Amino acid sequence: MKVDTDDWGDQPTIEVETLFKSYRRTAAGHKLRTLKSALLDRSLIQGLSAEESIPALQDISFTVGRGEAVGLIGSNGSGKSTLLKIVAGILRPTSGTVAVNGRLAALIELGAGFHPEISGRENIFINGAVLGLSRRQIAERFDDIVAFSGLADFIDEPVKHYSSGMYVRLGFSVAIHTDPDVLLVDEVLAVGDEAFAHKCLRRIEEMLARGKTLLLVSHSLKQIEDVCDRAIWLDKGRLRLSGHPRRVADAYRQAVAEEESREHREAKEQREHGDASDPDEATSGEPTPDETDETSAEVQPTTDPVDEEDDVLRWGSGAARIEHVRLLVDGEENYHVTSGSEVTFELTVRAFESFDDFVFGVGIKTPREIEVWGTNTDLAGFEPERLEPGEITVRLTCPRLRLGPGEYVIDVAVHARDGAPYDYRRRLLAFSVTAASDSVGLYVPEHDWRFSSGVSWQRTPSKD
Amino acid sequence: MTVAKSLLRHRALLVILTSRELKARYRGSMLGYLWSLVNPVLMLLVYTFVFSTIFQPRDASVDPYGLFLVTGLFPWIWIQTSWMEGAASLLANAGLIRKATFPTELLPVVPVLANLVHFLFALPVIALAFVVAAQLGYDVGGWTFILLPVIILLQLPLIAGLAVATAALQVHFKDVKDILANILQIGFFMTPILYKLDTLKGIPPVHALVAANPMTPYMLAYQESVFYGRVPKIELWIAMIAISGVTWWLSATLYERLRDTLVEAA
Repeated sequence: MKVDTDDWGDQPTIEVETLFKSYRRTAAGHKLRTLKSALLDRSLIQGLSAEESIPALQDISFTVGRGEAVGLIGSNGSGKSTLLKIVAGILRPTSGTVAVNGRLAALIELGAGFHPEISGRENIFINGAVLGLSRRQIAERFDDIVAFSGLADFIDEPVKHYSSGMYVRLGFSVAIHTDPDVLLVDEVLAVGDEAFAHKCLRRIEEMLARGKTLLLVSHSLKQIEDVCDRAIWLDKGRLRLSGHPRRVADAYRQAVAEEESREHREAKEQREHGDASDPDEATSGEPTPDETDETSAEVQPTTDPVDEEDDVLRWGSGAARIEHVRLLVDGEENYHVTSGSEVTFELTVRAFESFDDFVFGVGIKTPREIEVWGTNTDLAGFEPERLEPGEITVRLTCPRLRLGPGEYVIDVAVHARDGAPYDYRRRLLAFSVTAASDSVGLYVPEHDWRFSSGVSWQRTPSKD
Repeated sequence: MTVAKSLLRHRALLVILTSRELKARYRGSMLGYLWSLVNPVLMLLVYTFVFSTIFQPRDASVDPYGLFLVTGLFPWIWIQTSWMEGAASLLANAGLIRKATFPTELLPVVPVLANLVHFLFALPVIALAFVVAAQLGYDVGGWTFILLPVIILLQLPLIAGLAVATAALQVHFKDVKDILANILQIGFFMTPILYKLDTLKGIPPVHALVAANPMTPYMLAYQESVFYGRVPKIELWIAMIAISGVTWWLSATLYERLRDTLVEAA
């Protein structure tokens, strides 16, 4: 898998095709039995081939292009780490192919291979060699590695005296200085102190900007939404959904919320009905309003996991739907706004049941997805009590919307407080802003120039 | 990639890992590398004392017995420690191989090389002892001492092969460790280290058994070239080449078959 850096053209950096991986079962007593039977049958090799295997990954195919950042999300045991380790070449696929073009650095366990008895200095050389650098290359980069780790004062101490944070810092620093084309990162940013994690993240973003490729496993959906161009959701070893990070993360949040409410309901049924009562009884009776809310997610059809173009713009459980959004400028429907006008976002929402957990949100972005401003009722401190079934209207008014001149799009959403979306609509509408010509940028604050004596001007009227 | 190719390609890493092993062993000790000289000197003195003063060897042709013993004992210590440590190496480094892209076949070979370095450190002491013995009038040693590195080089694929194969097996079957410990214990007595192979001629079944031990030709070659100062016979050379070649080939094949599942089982 170690390939020299070369011009790979437009070839995808990571290609995974119909990948399957299963682990051999290691039940108690199995090993002894296998050895005994293997010796008796004189079939040691066959004895080791999987008789009972546990599938870890099933039929995974995807590609990651040059310069792309892809996040892997999924619950524990979904196969994320296994997939990352196969791409890294640590584990081998049971079937299917994995190709990586370019030099790869796997930041899976930082400082794996550090020897505790040996100084940080010598460990840099050993770790660098493990990661595929020559002695000369390490010597050239040595100062940078130490500087980035911030461990200059401790570099001649044996590594066993390091704290776990220092260990990770040195490990990350060596790995990042191997100048990889492809970075595989597994949760390593979760360890170490916050400041260093930020430094690492900045470094990773820097590398992305230089056209490097990233495959990131993180439990922080926020991190994946922030860093990645695309997310892949693995569910029990299968690829469930792939697409825009926000959309995949929301679909995942929704699934987790459904799962939690199902467990909660089951636990409640168990409490109310004892252990093994008639299962029909639990569902047939008149549901209390409380139960309606908890089952709501399940009654509604879930989003189709197929990644169609339309789906990139809209997703959610559909238990409530945003029917319509209007922009009102000074009370009139209008999509050409003069900066500083009173602007109202009017959402028409249809609820198909009653809710006690709901948040309305609005976000303004540039067409190139730079977030300009966003807010929601939860952030504003509204505690949801009740949303009745039927059509309702939500109005968000900005008395003076001081946007800079240009085009804007808005995202609107109605979702649960944990983020599980009922309806999320991206780029639902666009509007343009004109502003006095003395400003550039996204924001036009009220402003005024003043000068002391000694400065004189010839004033021309501002060019409108 | 075959095991041999991988070792060749990663030879720089192999050297670094071996020196890491050696450095780590002596780090924090005052005498450092000197310890690997103290140990052979001490053993030489103890065995010479025990077998010349306390026990009298029955065979007059192995005089001084201490030197005869040391001739076989140091290679055996190399074999034994390399094999044990090599067999355990994959499990001992599970943290590394499960978390970093790494050519796993290097790991069993590292202790073989590290222990070889120890063996080589002892050689000057052994050579000096033979010079002293010759000065004292014993008919031992000779220029054939310089054949020793050749024999070591021939034995290297045998020991590396055994370490590589056993390491792969031990990952899958934890009881390999105990089986190996017992094999080595019996092997010590089934190899002519404490005695001359010829001594067994009176007991034909035992003689046949010891002669069939794959380690025996190497031991005889060490004794011929180092203790007796004779060039080992051609049959010994052929036997050594054949045993090393076959063992390496079988071991590497076994390792390549098991490699796919090694990391997850470790």
